[in-house]
Amino acid sequence: MRYASSLVIDSLCDQAWEGDIAVAGLYCDFLARREQTATNMIGAILKELVHRGGIPGHVREAFQMGMRGYRGRGPRIMDLLGMLRTTVASISQVFICIDALDECHPRELFELLTSLREIIREFPAMRIFLTGRPHMVENTQGYFPKAIVVPMTTKTEDIRNYLQMRLGRDDEPEAMDSDLRVDIMGVMLETVPDT
Amino acid sequence: MAQTQHTHSISLGDANTDFGHLMGSYNNVIYKPDDDARMLRWLSPLEPNHRHHYVRSDRFDGIGSWLLEASEFREWRSGEGGADKAVLFCYGNPGVGKTYLR
Repeated sequence: MRYASSLVIDSLCDQAWEGDIAVAGLYCDFLARREQTATNMIGAILKELVHRGGIPGHVREAFQMGMRGYRGRGPRIMDLLGMLRTTVASISQVFICIDALDECHPRELFELLTSLREIIREFPAMRIFLTGRPHMVENTQGYFPKAIVVPMTTKTEDIRNYLQMRLGRDDEPEAMDSDLRVDIMGVMLETVPDT
Repeated sequence: MAQTQHTHSISLGDANTDFGHLMGSYNNVIYKPDDDARMLRWLSPLEPNHRHHYVRSDRFDGIGSWLLEASEFREWRSGEGGADKAVLFCYGNPGVGKTYLR
């Protein structure tokens, strides 16, 4: 699934050069649960969105305010959500991609997705791409009843592309000819269940 | 900026100096000056960008591109349809994709 997420993020980023588009990608990781709090994840989304276009004035001001506090406290989730709203409002198309929802702590996921749901209500042009294991379908629809749900399977076409790539890198190219190549492809693809 | 650099490198004719300038301009464009880096760290200690670069380095051309061509994806990406079409959820088992192919 990480694979799909990175592909989608790159594809959206390619498009981002064409216009007023910003893309934020986030990979949930079971091993990073402790630091992947809703606050840090919202902050990371904001960081990704402002990274390319330069840090906007309202974020700079919030930072200065934060530094004035006792030992320079970190931003609270409410502060970050306020900055995220202002940022999203200033960009015509915002894409947020979050990979592997099931690896996120359920409590933090709740906070993250309910916050994003609020923001979509205000900015209906915003787009969110999510991935997760099959058991997360129902969970995600709980937050976004109208979510478009797409199953990820390994397509025969993907396996064919992969085999072709590997055959192209064969260690003994002199032993390879077009007949052998066709035979290998045929045998390998026969073993693949229909998808 | 590019103009200034060019003049500089010719007048000095010193490869090291030129390199230093190139690095300087690279840092200014790609990385933020210190203050900006501090601000970005303040927003969040997470660095999803690093993870992304790691994941993408493992990708093979053409694999998974069916998703980008799928009508569901294209409709979602177009940004039309308002809040109702705002969320696209792709689900699968962890074996699907790269690891399945190894």
